[in-house]
Amino acid sequence: MNRTASHCYHCHQIVPKQLAVTAEINEQQQLFCCSGCVAVCQTIHVSGLESFYQHIPNVDSLSPPAQNDLTDLESFDLESVQADFVIENDETKQAILLIEGIHCSACVWLIERALNKMPGVQQAIVNLTQKRLKVVWLKNQCVLSDIILQCRQLGYDALPYQSSTALDQYNQSKSNLLYRLGFAGFTMMNLLWISIALYSGADQGEYRYFLQWIAMALATPTLLYSGWPFLSGAYRSIKQGYAGMDVPIAIGALATYLYSAYITLSQSQTGEVYFDTVVNFIFVILIGRYLESVSKYKAVNATQRLLDLQPKIANVIEQNGEIVVKPVKALVLGEVVRIKPGEKIPVDGCVVDGMTEVDESMLTGETNLVGKIIKDDVFAGTLNGAGSIDVKVNGLLTKTVLGKIIQLVESAQMTKAPIQCTTDKIVPWFVLITLSLSMMTFIYWSSVGFESALLAAVSVLIITCPCAFGLATPMSIAVASGVASVHGILIKNGAVFEQLSSIKNIVFDKTGTLTQGKIEVKEMVLVDDCDYSQETLLKWLATLESRSEHPVANAILNELKKQSLELEANISGFDYFPGQGVAGVIDGQSVMAGQIQWLRNKKINIDSLLENKAEKYQEQGYSSLFLAVNENIVALFVLFDPLKSDAKSTINTLKKMGFNISLLSGDRYSTVQSVAIQLGGLEAFAEVLPQQKYQIIQQFQQSQKTVIMVGDGINDAPALIMADIGIAIGSGTDISIESADIVLTHDKLEQIIQSIELSRQCLRTIHQNIIISILYNIIMVPLAMMAFVTPLVAAITMPISSLLVIMNASRLRIKKGKN
Amino acid sequence: MDVIYGLIPGMLLLGLLMVGIFFWACKTGQYDDMDGEASRILQDDDD
Repeated sequence: MNRTASHCYHCHQIVPKQLAVTAEINEQQQLFCCSGCVAVCQTIHVSGLESFYQHIPNVDSLSPPAQNDLTDLESFDLESVQADFVIENDETKQAILLIEGIHCSACVWLIERALNKMPGVQQAIVNLTQKRLKVVWLKNQCVLSDIILQCRQLGYDALPYQSSTALDQYNQSKSNLLYRLGFAGFTMMNLLWISIALYSGADQGEYRYFLQWIAMALATPTLLYSGWPFLSGAYRSIKQGYAGMDVPIAIGALATYLYSAYITLSQSQTGEVYFDTVVNFIFVILIGRYLESVSKYKAVNATQRLLDLQPKIANVIEQNGEIVVKPVKALVLGEVVRIKPGEKIPVDGCVVDGMTEVDESMLTGETNLVGKIIKDDVFAGTLNGAGSIDVKVNGLLTKTVLGKIIQLVESAQMTKAPIQCTTDKIVPWFVLITLSLSMMTFIYWSSVGFESALLAAVSVLIITCPCAFGLATPMSIAVASGVASVHGILIKNGAVFEQLSSIKNIVFDKTGTLTQGKIEVKEMVLVDDCDYSQETLLKWLATLESRSEHPVANAILNELKKQSLELEANISGFDYFPGQGVAGVIDGQSVMAGQIQWLRNKKINIDSLLENKAEKYQEQGYSSLFLAVNENIVALFVLFDPLKSDAKSTINTLKKMGFNISLLSGDRYSTVQSVAIQLGGLEAFAEVLPQQKYQIIQQFQQSQKTVIMVGDGINDAPALIMADIGIAIGSGTDISIESADIVLTHDKLEQIIQSIELSRQCLRTIHQNIIISILYNIIMVPLAMMAFVTPLVAAITMPISSLLVIMNASRLRIKKGKN
Repeated sequence: MDVIYGLIPGMLLLGLLMVGIFFWACKTGQYDDMDGEASRILQDDDD
């Protein structure tokens, strides 16, 4: 594998020269992007597992390991902590751990190999799909904390896994459907060739009854077992007085089955059996149901995983000042918890001591670190930065902001009214008309005789068998989804595709969706008659910032790279004040950079002209960073989060298409307003808390407006679900992607327009298909009512109607292919 | 042609056996990890 000098030896990401870390691997100096990669790579080599690098299928798939906490793992060995997730046997213990950071089979190989080399570990099996590790170890030879430590040293976070009842239920219903599908598949395949025999002449000879009986023997359990979800669904919806799609499915299947059973049992010489139709129908529709339940399970799994990844233990400071490790479950509101640097915060709370910076991106999507001092609130699930803080607990487990968001997601999933697609609206009428027509047929023919009346009535039901009708929408959506996925648009819930073109309101999240979520330097303003050149000041600032891991630092370093300047090597006395600024001595000059309030407190002379300028920029939505040299302010750096390159053109096109566009953000009003103005004036909702995003969507819906929500962060997840259609940008977090109906994987906003265009075409095709199946019924039903439909006619026309619908739908692919 | 009186029930029994195996495979978690096992077999045990 070719690992070039400018790439990290471990994760293969490009390393800026001035930021590279070197370390000795196999007696050779190698470049690394961060100390995390060094540690992981050294662990791998020390364990003799360096062939890991040959196992990686795709080098680009690796990413730098998370900064894992390697201390204080002993708490995982406490009986009270283990009670929840460890199964104890005579000599061994067994646990399932969630592994974060697995991307490919090479990771599986590495973890299994490394753990199996540990003394005392009997078995370690990683499940790549579920990202779980099952580990069995000897009680007296090794402890769980060593196993977790080994995982973390390899760059994977490991946390205990506990199964949840909600998830188990979804899993149960998913595998239940798979069993039914498997059984239907078996009977369908066998019935197919039995019907071939019957159609090709066997129905005239001595085997007629034998084959019919076999067919019935296969169809009966299929209808009762595999078809049960439809039968019970139809029963439930009739009881509630609403005709859903299950009703015509159940009627079609039952009528066809009972008719065929009647022919078989009465040993009639002329009638035909249609057991194959029943079974095929059930099989095809079950496939759709199964896929639907898989995506539902995935959605719940993602939400659950988020909760599972929360820390399970906390360091509690007792009244007497002692620090005790307790499971989070056993904490009480009002207790004080110490959070060490780099730890994930286990609770919601208020800082009572210390200061730090916190990465809240998993909640807000905002990549900036947020400074926290006494009396500030911190939230469970966010990542503590460089400082240590003591936090007074005011929210636990499901009562935290994160827990509430997850609850919102779950409740929104349950309460959201299913989308009414065109067929759903027609189905009740369709059922009603079919039933009354067949009733009329029965009454009309009953004067001739009961048997022929029954046959005519049933043949009406069979001929209207909603095959074509049932396929009209799903086929078009399936084809359109296929076309979309080629373009990187994933349609998770096909029915929304039909809706997309009819909605007129779009709400955009700002950070990370319309903007890049990465800070850049817009401008550098120097004081009048400044003693230093612009380049020198930028170099100094970059040198200072390179020592801190703040996102602003990245912005400055990128600016430095853009101007192709080098870092200053001569720096001493570096100091870092979380959330406020940095200070140090470079080339014998005292240099400080940070917020104006902090510099003022440090008795720095403020230039009022520069301060005014900064205020003006702030009104326009930019943020500012001041640089002081030898106690005098010398420069102002204007920072901003730039718009995505296609944001403006997309918004303009959408406006031209007649959409009403709004902007939604948790940021300050001025920032949001300035973005709205840059995009040509939009309605803007600013300073919206995560919970309120969801309410704003509800407000739209209460005033009878349908809404499309476009977002990316966890905080957007409830809104994405609540909206009539949620569109997630592919670079977003897992949960927002799982909550959305449509995922744009290429991270391009233009894809929204593409999706809408495709959905318009799809809608047209659906309408054509419905017209085809209605036309078919208009021709065939009168014939059936007149008792003119011979078995042969039925056998030919029924597949033809379905074929027409399928062929019309596949035109969608050809049409799109031409463009 | 009377052979089909034996062959068809035989085929159904065989098919049911397959369904049984399929159910067993699902129950014991053979399909739980569709990605990992596929590549595990390609990785050497001792290098």
